[in-house]
Amino acid sequence: MSTNELLTGKRLIGRVAFSVMLLAAVMFVCSLTGAESVSLKKAFGSVSTTGAINPDYEIFMQVRVPRIVLAAIVGAALACSGVVFQGLLRNPLADPYILGISSGAGLGAVIAVISGFNWMLWGRSPIAVFAFLGALGTVWLVWLIGRLAGRSNVTSLLLAGVVVNAFFSAIIMFLTSIARSDQIFSTIFWLMGNITEEEWFILWLSGGCVITGVIALFYISPQLNVISFGQDDARSMGINTPAVQTIAFAVAAAITAVAVSLSGLIGFVGLIVPHGVRLVFGPDHRQLLPVSAIVGAIFLVACDTAARIVVAPAQLPVGVVTAIVGGPFFLVLLIRHTRKVGWLAK
Amino acid sequence: MNMIDVSHLGFSYSEGDVLRDLSFQVERGSFLTIAGPNGAGKSTLLNLLSGRLKAGSGSVKIDAADVQSYPAAALARKVAVVRQEFVPMFGFSVLETVLMARVPCYGPLGFESKRDREIAGGALEATDTAKFARRQLGQISGGERQRVFIARALAQDTPVLLLDEPTSFLDLRHQVRIYDLLKKMQIEQGKTIVAVTHDINLAAQYCDDVLLIGTQGHYYKGPGRDVFSPEKIEKVFGVTGFAGRIGSEKFFLPLGKYARDRHGNVP
Repeated sequence: MSTNELLTGKRLIGRVAFSVMLLAAVMFVCSLTGAESVSLKKAFGSVSTTGAINPDYEIFMQVRVPRIVLAAIVGAALACSGVVFQGLLRNPLADPYILGISSGAGLGAVIAVISGFNWMLWGRSPIAVFAFLGALGTVWLVWLIGRLAGRSNVTSLLLAGVVVNAFFSAIIMFLTSIARSDQIFSTIFWLMGNITEEEWFILWLSGGCVITGVIALFYISPQLNVISFGQDDARSMGINTPAVQTIAFAVAAAITAVAVSLSGLIGFVGLIVPHGVRLVFGPDHRQLLPVSAIVGAIFLVACDTAARIVVAPAQLPVGVVTAIVGGPFFLVLLIRHTRKVGWLAK
Repeated sequence: MNMIDVSHLGFSYSEGDVLRDLSFQVERGSFLTIAGPNGAGKSTLLNLLSGRLKAGSGSVKIDAADVQSYPAAALARKVAVVRQEFVPMFGFSVLETVLMARVPCYGPLGFESKRDREIAGGALEATDTAKFARRQLGQISGGERQRVFIARALAQDTPVLLLDEPTSFLDLRHQVRIYDLLKKMQIEQGKTIVAVTHDINLAAQYCDDVLLIGTQGHYYKGPGRDVFSPEKIEKVFGVTGFAGRIGSEKFFLPLGKYARDRHGNVP
């Protein structure tokens, strides 16, 4: 069984290379799938000498590919951050949103919608900017409360997350209840999670952020392995626990905030992908992090393609697809785990 | 030369004092057992020795330097801690778990060296856990898991080993195997061992010294064989019973209110 072998550098590189190729293949196939049929031959075959607009090329490079790349970036960020939160909180049911990122981002987005701001920052709408700031601000708040409650105690962090989540959700509900109906529509649309076409500049920027984050997390992954045994064990094994925890939390929160500001609240990716990868490849973070990032990208690209074509020419929000796929999976996990171990007991 | 030097140590939680003016030394290469009733502060003392808690007053010195003055990585080369065994959240294998003791020594790419593997392999052999090295921690018995955690501590390659109730929840055979293992480490590798335990009878067979910690600030430290005076036990644990000797092993058997041999009970 693959989980029983010791991870070596060679095995890791092999598996990562294989999953990257799989991701490339999935992205390629999905870029050819859609409501409009696009011919690669037409798009790239005749390099336009006349200067006329080539519709196949335009659809391919301005609509399809950017959207698929965006789905890959968001999927990778969410899956990776899910791995980190599960490991740090030692809770298999944790996901990137567990410490209140979702409600913070949601609150930011709702405030942006209701205030009716109408400006752009680096080509980003106020919704994206406010969601990003709301997400980071909330994680910081939860972290602070957790610290005050007990020295970065896992349980107090979780409880702080739950409380902040509930409180911000209440404010979101209050704001939506006093909002106009068109504002409510765009809020709900955002909360459902959506992948849309983005400019290449945004894709490069956010892709760079996420890849940097994944590499930074990989760098501390052996320490994350030790910390998953608990802070005290990690400390007595010579790990600088507070530093590693702070870096991991900050990086995971940052890439989640990037993902959320790009696509709204897409659920379940950050929960089920780390689980699936752990089941197949084992719990070693050196492997779990990079492989989950790639599998998360594959998963979200596939889900978004489904969202594009299932009810074509209309489109589903991708959050609906991931929830329909992920919900039952989550239920099975919940039942299995709560039966097996009391995960807050230790 | 003393490996551990505790002087005038005091510690209190917000609920009140736990330890008051406690002083003792642990000689290099010796085996100390800490015993006492629940709530007397045994685990607190172990946490103070391992540097997890800061002393309220007085000091704890490991190898002549204050335990709090060590950075985490440096302290982990002096002191290894074995806590009560538990099933970790994620399914790491026995070998992966033991290798984690070497993580601070890993190279920049995050992988173990050949030497790390040899040290981990040695720890598995010493604790007799090599035969299930590929199994997951959740799939082995509690006694086996406790030996794995001891193996992990050995792989840290430290002169000092601290253990918190290493044999609670284990059956008699596994209790004896754990103590045999600890004694072997003391003799063969010259480790300084400090173990908290409730089982004074078994511990006394193996340890050099016993530290009794009572709730009222009664401390007693001395050779293991001198612990079993009924007066000392009654003072520290608040129970009466038989103190006896079989062969050269002394023992203490507590007698409860309804015990047949309790003074005054009708036989």
